[in-house]
Amino acid sequence: MFEVFVFATLNGLVTGLLLFMLASGLTLIFSMMGVLNFAHASFYMLGAYFAFTLSAYLGFWGGLLFAPLIVGCIGAAVERYGLRRVHQSGHVAELVFTFGLAFLIEEAVQFFWGRDTKNYQSPELFDFALFTLFGQEFSAYRGFMIAIACLIFGALYFVLTRSRVGIIIQASISHPQTVANLGHNVPLIFMCVFGVGTALAGVAGVIAGPVLTTFPGMATVLGSIVFVVVVIGGLGSLPGALIASLLVGLLQSYAIAADVGMPELLHLLSLSFDSSHPLNDLWTLNLPQIAPVLPYLLLVLVLIFKPTGLMGNREQ
Amino acid sequence: MSLLTLDSVCKSFGSTRIINDVSLDIEAGEKHAIIGPNGAGKSTLFHLISGRYNVSSGAIGFKGEVIHNLPPYEIARRGLARSFQVTNIFPRMSVFENIRCALLWSEGYRYSFWQLLGRQRTLNEKALDVLEQIGLSDKAQLPSGELAYAQQRALELGIAVASGAELIMLDEPVAGMSNSEAENAVALIRRITEGKTLIMVEHDMNIVFDIADRISVLVYGEIIATDTPQNIRSNARVQEAYLGEVPSDA
Amino acid sequence: MKKQLPVWLGFALALVFLPSIFDSVLGISILNQMTIWIIFALSYNMLLGQGGMLSFGHAVYFGLGGFMSVHALNLIADEVLVFSITLIPLVGGAVGLVAAIFIGSFSTRKSGTVFAMISLGIGELIVASSLIFADFFGGEAGVTGDRTYGPPFFGIEFLQDAEVYYLGAFWLFVATLFMYLFTQTPAGRMANAVRDNPERAEFIGYSTRRVRFISFCAAGLFAGIAGGLFAINYEFITEENLNALTSGRVLLMAYIGGLGFFIGPIVGAVILTLMNSLLSNYSEMWMLYLGIMFLLTVIFLPRGFAGFIMMHQIAWQNRRLGTLILPYFVTAVPALVFLAAFVGLVELSHKGDDILPFFGLSLGAESMLSWGILLALAGIGALGVKLSRPRLAAAWALANTPTADDRGDVR
Repeated sequence: MFEVFVFATLNGLVTGLLLFMLASGLTLIFSMMGVLNFAHASFYMLGAYFAFTLSAYLGFWGGLLFAPLIVGCIGAAVERYGLRRVHQSGHVAELVFTFGLAFLIEEAVQFFWGRDTKNYQSPELFDFALFTLFGQEFSAYRGFMIAIACLIFGALYFVLTRSRVGIIIQASISHPQTVANLGHNVPLIFMCVFGVGTALAGVAGVIAGPVLTTFPGMATVLGSIVFVVVVIGGLGSLPGALIASLLVGLLQSYAIAADVGMPELLHLLSLSFDSSHPLNDLWTLNLPQIAPVLPYLLLVLVLIFKPTGLMGNREQ
Repeated sequence: MSLLTLDSVCKSFGSTRIINDVSLDIEAGEKHAIIGPNGAGKSTLFHLISGRYNVSSGAIGFKGEVIHNLPPYEIARRGLARSFQVTNIFPRMSVFENIRCALLWSEGYRYSFWQLLGRQRTLNEKALDVLEQIGLSDKAQLPSGELAYAQQRALELGIAVASGAELIMLDEPVAGMSNSEAENAVALIRRITEGKTLIMVEHDMNIVFDIADRISVLVYGEIIATDTPQNIRSNARVQEAYLGEVPSDA
Repeated sequence: MKKQLPVWLGFALALVFLPSIFDSVLGISILNQMTIWIIFALSYNMLLGQGGMLSFGHAVYFGLGGFMSVHALNLIADEVLVFSITLIPLVGGAVGLVAAIFIGSFSTRKSGTVFAMISLGIGELIVASSLIFADFFGGEAGVTGDRTYGPPFFGIEFLQDAEVYYLGAFWLFVATLFMYLFTQTPAGRMANAVRDNPERAEFIGYSTRRVRFISFCAAGLFAGIAGGLFAINYEFITEENLNALTSGRVLLMAYIGGLGFFIGPIVGAVILTLMNSLLSNYSEMWMLYLGIMFLLTVIFLPRGFAGFIMMHQIAWQNRRLGTLILPYFVTAVPALVFLAAFVGLVELSHKGDDILPFFGLSLGAESMLSWGILLALAGIGALGVKLSRPRLAAAWALANTPTADDRGDVR
């Protein structure tokens, strides 16, 4: 039991940190510009695909370095030429735009790379087990993922709280008008934040691609979960996004690992139902089955009881 | 019994006290003005009475019934209507529709989804009446967002008055208007509040002294004086707090 | 209302005579699809365009209505229930309504982004549940039914698609009429007011929550009716018809058509159904084109196609609409050239060894000449648009300035 718990925790941690990498960029963008970027997971996908192509020429590390840069540039361009224009038509228009963008990117990826799954490999450097616990291996690559994630968060935290740019960004989050009046080029800041946010998603794609498989549907798979995380954590709150990401990652991991469900509960209550019972599907339900549903359940519950999210402060 | 009573009303936002122990009685048919320096809390007081904010402590009663902490729609249904300092209309709907919507509840339509508005003779005639009163009959079909500022203020007034509320609260109704526009607006206010109770927040002393039966002076969330215009004018505390605003002629 | 009688008459006549014009198998099939999607898109606009509520989970009511309808079809076939399948959309509507009452009871407490997120969450929850509760939802294979086993309706057994069309057209007319009438009622008008200014709506005596709840339930009802029609038409439904993609599709339709107009979603549903059905026959890349077109519409036509048409209202009133024809033409030609070249480039990249027929030319991906021609055409088209735009802009400005009529007054 204990080893299941340990590995579930570690896996949940990896998932959670990955989610946070995506959620942090999304939160930054939302805080700054009030835009919920539906296409955020699409940039994650672009990161993986660009890294896949680049790694054929420059190796994994070349991909890690350049793919996020390319993705960030694309993001900045999207902001400059698309989002900025749509901004004046209101929030609904922005949401619809990013929604269409997500759709378009998925089609474009299929256009340029084809519909098959890409054989994007993790570097051989990490092809060993970091440690073996109770007979199960924990791959070094996952350890690497955790390390990179923590490195990025550290850098993000440092930039946002200690550097001049970071202070300006923090100010723009709550008072963009004032910051503009102080002479800062707020549109430029927006463009850069969008670019950095999408680049972050790209990094997540680069390191997650080998593990979560690189295929055209990878954005849809992760996309709505990232949203759920951001909303649970509280729109606009980075600490909230971190907590929510870890919560969702661990929750799903534990649910998948724990092989219990309704049968055990019914047994506890000394009930049993025939398999021809109309609600048989309900009585045979187990945790791994509902694991994909848990984040959404949590979302709905949080939104009903604490609509601003766990740590949210923005009243919409 | 007074129409509206405020009893030791306090309102704090966090640790900042905005309204401090305000007590006031407004009589039916009275025209009451609330004046005070900027930031005194006049709009907050309106928000408390009309239900936008809950009181931190104290009580507000309307026609003998407790209304503080009720949602705005409950208070509106009891016959209390207000206008806003910043124009607060339904911009994508026509001028006519704005007024008609304001009439719906008092004409008893509730949430009906089976009655066609086009067929409701009485309702439509009343709406046209109100439009004529506020002088916007010829603009009836325009989207209200396209009106000029002064006309939007008139519509704002119309929405507040349409429902036939007994107590009408106007928050700086002539803000931003030219002198001639303000003159028209004041004449309009007189007309449509005839026989009703009016509470008005206003900065322009000429208008205040023209319309008000009584004036309350709000400074830093406290009422420092409530009296007839004459007495307020000669009140030392008021002069001290509100220097230079009082016209020198009688 | 009297003034609008000819419009409704025209609508009814069009519905009756369209299948005579488009009488091919494909044509009837497309018309059938349109009846379903128009109702669905109109129901969505009750939420978004009229109520200001952005929902990402509207397909739930469509899908649930559809699933229950397919089950009803099966119950009719098994003779457990006996009623004409012409009433199936009512079954769908009832289910949609009940679901909306249940979900709306808590989701309409909030507005804006929170509401949108709740709708997304609920949608995903229900899709996920559909895979778990395989008995009702049929698992990944979905549920199938048969519409021909029910009692005949005046001798019609609905074996033919054309017969199904007239049933669909009937429900389309009825649903559209009722959705339109809703907008003319106190509930419908207050929905607009709440959309425009929720705060003020409260101050004139209305609970915004209640108003939104009513719109929400009505939208669920009509989405369920569309789901019922879907069940009759396809005799088959899967969890895909409940999911975020379907919700997104109806959002697209309403948006492209124009949220601010009642006919907007009708326009959007027609355009998208046509693109979906026709383009997919001609090109594998049609979804890419759809995505591009969608983005361009969002950027350049925020009020949708209906909005674009209505933009010309002032020019029409000024009787200057005719002055715009030539400038539009002059800009449209290079724009079309650019479009054709762009499509050619996209298609050519995917042709591999095949030949791409292009307006009488045979282009091959290997040939530099082919690429050169297409790029040149694209360049010429883009240049043409750029050069002709100022003239169009000037003509537009002129057409929109008030005219002086015969009496010398300015309008």
